[in-house]
Amino acid sequence: MKKIIKVILIVLVIGFVALQFFQPKKNLGTTSTEDFLVAQQVPDDVSLILKNSCYDCHSNHTRYLWYHNISPVSWMINDHIQDGKHELNFSEWGKLDIYDQITDLEKISRETKHKEMPLKSYLLMHPSAKLNQEQIDRIEAWTNNLGEQLLKKSAN
Amino acid sequence: MLLRHDNIQKIMLMKRKNEFLVLLVGFLVLSISAVATDNPAKTKGLEMPENIKAIIDNKCFGCHNTDSKNDKAKEDLNFSTFDELSMMKKVSSYNKIAEELEERKMPPAKFLEHFPDKNVTDEERTALMEWAKKEAEALVKGN
Repeated sequence: MKKIIKVILIVLVIGFVALQFFQPKKNLGTTSTEDFLVAQQVPDDVSLILKNSCYDCHSNHTRYLWYHNISPVSWMINDHIQDGKHELNFSEWGKLDIYDQITDLEKISRETKHKEMPLKSYLLMHPSAKLNQEQIDRIEAWTNNLGEQLLKKSAN
Repeated sequence: MLLRHDNIQKIMLMKRKNEFLVLLVGFLVLSISAVATDNPAKTKGLEMPENIKAIIDNKCFGCHNTDSKNDKAKEDLNFSTFDELSMMKKVSSYNKIAEELEERKMPPAKFLEHFPDKNVTDEERTALMEWAKKEAEALVKGN
């Protein structure tokens, strides 16, 4: 019996070590002119909120924590990032048409207001990313303002 | 004595007349309000072609209205109050309508399991998508 447990443990350890050789491609792109913070004029306080609370999953550049390098956590994190970028990728903001830009601004405002974003699972490991009411109000006012500006510009 | 009896009869007749009038008015009021509930304002304030209005009233309005029990649907899109939305929210809503229809997320598959007759045909889907895109474009271009 003891021998069986030993064999299972050895297989598990070997499997775990072998798994480390298979890692997803890291999300470590550089900032381009398409980036939201470059393409739009974003005030410092808003920029800070976005970088600190949104950019890890919604841009081409993630600030990884040490355990994110360990498989299978690395794959789970990679999945989160791919999902996040599929929904909204700030790094490719400039590629969106006005309709999607307006829709995304509205979504940012609504999801932060309803505390759906940042995700609770993300906040568990990144407590400093949690938005307080003042920050949520700021995001709402600012996204609405930018949306109106973009609409005015496109109407002219 | 006879005269008195005659008077009483007259008074009774008048009373009946009044009762009849009250009943008639009541009946009329009730029937008008019944018609009103059968045909609620639905897509009130939203100007749209008749064919689009017919699809929305029949296939979408059930969940996307103020009295809907589906809070999520109502919050995402409420045709009863659409007209009160800001320009930005209108553009975003039209864009999302087109997007969700294109990705066949709407009407939701789970809902259709119970109400298959609420599904939209391919022609209806295309008509709605084109309408929503056109409305968004008109707002963005300031027409």
